[in-house]
Amino acid sequence: MPERILQVVIKEFLELWRDRWSRFRLLVPPIIQMLIFGYAATFEVFGVSTAVVDLDHSQESRELVAGFGSSERFHVVEVATTSQAVEAAIEQSDATVALVVHAGFAEKLRKGQPAPVQVLVDGTNSNTALIALSYVGEIVQRFSAAYQLDLAERVLPGPKTAPVEVTLEARPWYNPDLNSRWFFVPGVIGTLTLTIVVNLTAFAIVREREVGTLEQIMVTPIRPLEFVLGKTAPFFLVGLGEVMLIALTGTIWFGVPFVGNPLVLLLGTSLFLLSTLGLGLLISTICTTQQQAFASNFFVVNPLFTLSGFSFPISSMPGALQAITYVNPLRYYLIIIRGTFLKGVGLDVLWPDMLALAALGIGLLGLSVVRFRKSLD
Amino acid sequence: MLGRILQILIKELLELSRDRWGRFSLLAPPIIQLLLFGYAATFEVNAVTTAVLDLDHSQESRELVSAFTGSGRFRIIRVAADEAGITDAIERGDAAVALVIHPGFAQRLRKGQKAPLQVLVDGTNSNTALLALGYVGQIVGTYSTAHMIDLANRVLPGPRTQLVEVRLEERPWFNPGLDSRWFFVPGIVGTVTLVSVVNLTAFAIVREREVGTLEQIMVTPIRPFELLIGKTLPLYLIGIGQVFMLLVTGMIWFGVPFVGDPFVLFVGTSLFLLTSISLGLLISTVCTTQQQAFASNFFVINPIFMLSGFTTPITTMPAAMQALTYVNPLSYYLVITRGTFLKGVGFGVLWPDMLALAALGLGLLGLTILRFRKSLD
Repeated sequence: MPERILQVVIKEFLELWRDRWSRFRLLVPPIIQMLIFGYAATFEVFGVSTAVVDLDHSQESRELVAGFGSSERFHVVEVATTSQAVEAAIEQSDATVALVVHAGFAEKLRKGQPAPVQVLVDGTNSNTALIALSYVGEIVQRFSAAYQLDLAERVLPGPKTAPVEVTLEARPWYNPDLNSRWFFVPGVIGTLTLTIVVNLTAFAIVREREVGTLEQIMVTPIRPLEFVLGKTAPFFLVGLGEVMLIALTGTIWFGVPFVGNPLVLLLGTSLFLLSTLGLGLLISTICTTQQQAFASNFFVVNPLFTLSGFSFPISSMPGALQAITYVNPLRYYLIIIRGTFLKGVGLDVLWPDMLALAALGIGLLGLSVVRFRKSLD
Repeated sequence: MLGRILQILIKELLELSRDRWGRFSLLAPPIIQLLLFGYAATFEVNAVTTAVLDLDHSQESRELVSAFTGSGRFRIIRVAADEAGITDAIERGDAAVALVIHPGFAQRLRKGQKAPLQVLVDGTNSNTALLALGYVGQIVGTYSTAHMIDLANRVLPGPRTQLVEVRLEERPWFNPGLDSRWFFVPGIVGTVTLVSVVNLTAFAIVREREVGTLEQIMVTPIRPFELLIGKTLPLYLIGIGQVFMLLVTGMIWFGVPFVGDPFVLFVGTSLFLLTSISLGLLISTVCTTQQQAFASNFFVINPIFMLSGFTTPITTMPAAMQALTYVNPLSYYLVITRGTFLKGVGFGVLWPDMLALAALGLGLLGLTILRFRKSLD
């Protein structure tokens, strides 16, 4: 039995490495994806194009506006004289944020009345808008506090009341600069491995079936289980190789740290590969043509991406979708990858995810082997 | 000539309508994608899992904590007794944010000294962390001000300290609730159309070439140009149909508004389909097997997605990547879909994007026709 499996393994490896195109296919797409994600996928908000109109022309209003000019978060692209002009700037997408200081701002401030500042923001990209608004809030808050201090010192010569202030000490753990790259690079390892392994496995079998060589193999003395093992073992090794390749690119090229234990990641990856191989095999038992196998990416791989926490936080999804994420192997693998890369946590923290992956992997692989046997009969 | 084009057109439509699987693959993936993104793709942060360590046990510290629970943005999942409890909650991923109030918080506030509040945040998901920190800042700011007013009124019976209040009036345009769904649904219209049209086009020709029927067609009196038109016209109609279907589903199911002029979207969509179909044809001249056509998704479609502004804003990408977005048809089309859906702008604002799409479409088409003729020789 081991010898027959070995024969299939050798055949598969030969096929994978046979021509330039297949070698190219294994190496280049993952690296391209990694580079694009590393460079292009950033949620950080800086240099927001900002239009400003100051209808108050007071020292106070100038100070407030200067707060925006000196912040690297905002880039003042237009200083308008009417509020219509800033509205036009937003309409034509010349500016994402517009600050309108109405006449009477300083007077109200001096009288101790609420002094309104209007902020228009292009809400089309809701995420950018949300983050930009919180920066606007920060700058306005800082202006308020400074003005308060100034006022207290000027107005009250007697017993001074220093302005009370709760100072915020923000300590982002694991990613001190809140760099999106640190979030995405480990995630890309998971999504790429999933896509590559599922597709390689599914296509390898569907192609043999479509061309008819699957039947030829089945008339040899090999048993279905041996065939499945021989077919999937090479992809398991390919998967491990891909993870290594992408992880090294990410850490060396983008400087994303790997603070955890490589053995923990290896264990997690192995368990994850069980699920992906099972999934690929399952797809191959359902699809009869390569085109269908291709389309399975829409039905299976894309939903797995979206519901994994790869870019969208699971905790903000509706309850029903959150429930689905529990049977998504990628969800657990992303926790393991990010946990080992950034947090440096070990099995004591990650064991529930490992266990879930193992259960999913064995379940999927078992189901697909049963179906595969049937599909041969 | 018209007769011959019509014959091909009829053949293509027949092929499509005969094939149940083909019809299914036209309808189901777009709807699945739309539903997934509509429900799961949210960057909003609500009910952030929060751990609290209150070492001050004062009225002030309790008030501050209840300001967090009262905001609806934070959900306190653990009240820890010591630092270890907090560390553990963040390490295990149970809490994304931890508030630490050190002893002496209230005393410092009463004395008018700066009172620090330590906020630990899990930076693994940098975007969530950024948004959560923004909310923390707002809550602390409001608390500070309220406390200041209270203190001023109590402590100083004489001349009242004036309290400065800058009231921020936030006016998000085009998406008043800053709902991510409004951002993603018009985007999905673009990405789904690109994927399905490029792949349908590429596969339609590569499959005929692989099976050998392309050569059979070429020995008929039809000219390459006529074949192209006959082959691509149905795809154009499918593309228009898909956009219409997604638009209606997005509006009815998700309540995303369409405030613009449908005709503007129609013109933009037609130009975009011209580019997508040309891209599909170009891929078909490069690839000889269906597997290669499939792999082109990695090389072509995924980079186009990433560099389109579909999820991450173009303005914060590195300059070299931003330059690439100028030859990306999807980045123009997304400006058009979002512009017509949400902003309601017309040709007056969108003409540069339309022009760019037209230029890209014609350029790609010209290149394709040149290559297509050669690939037949």
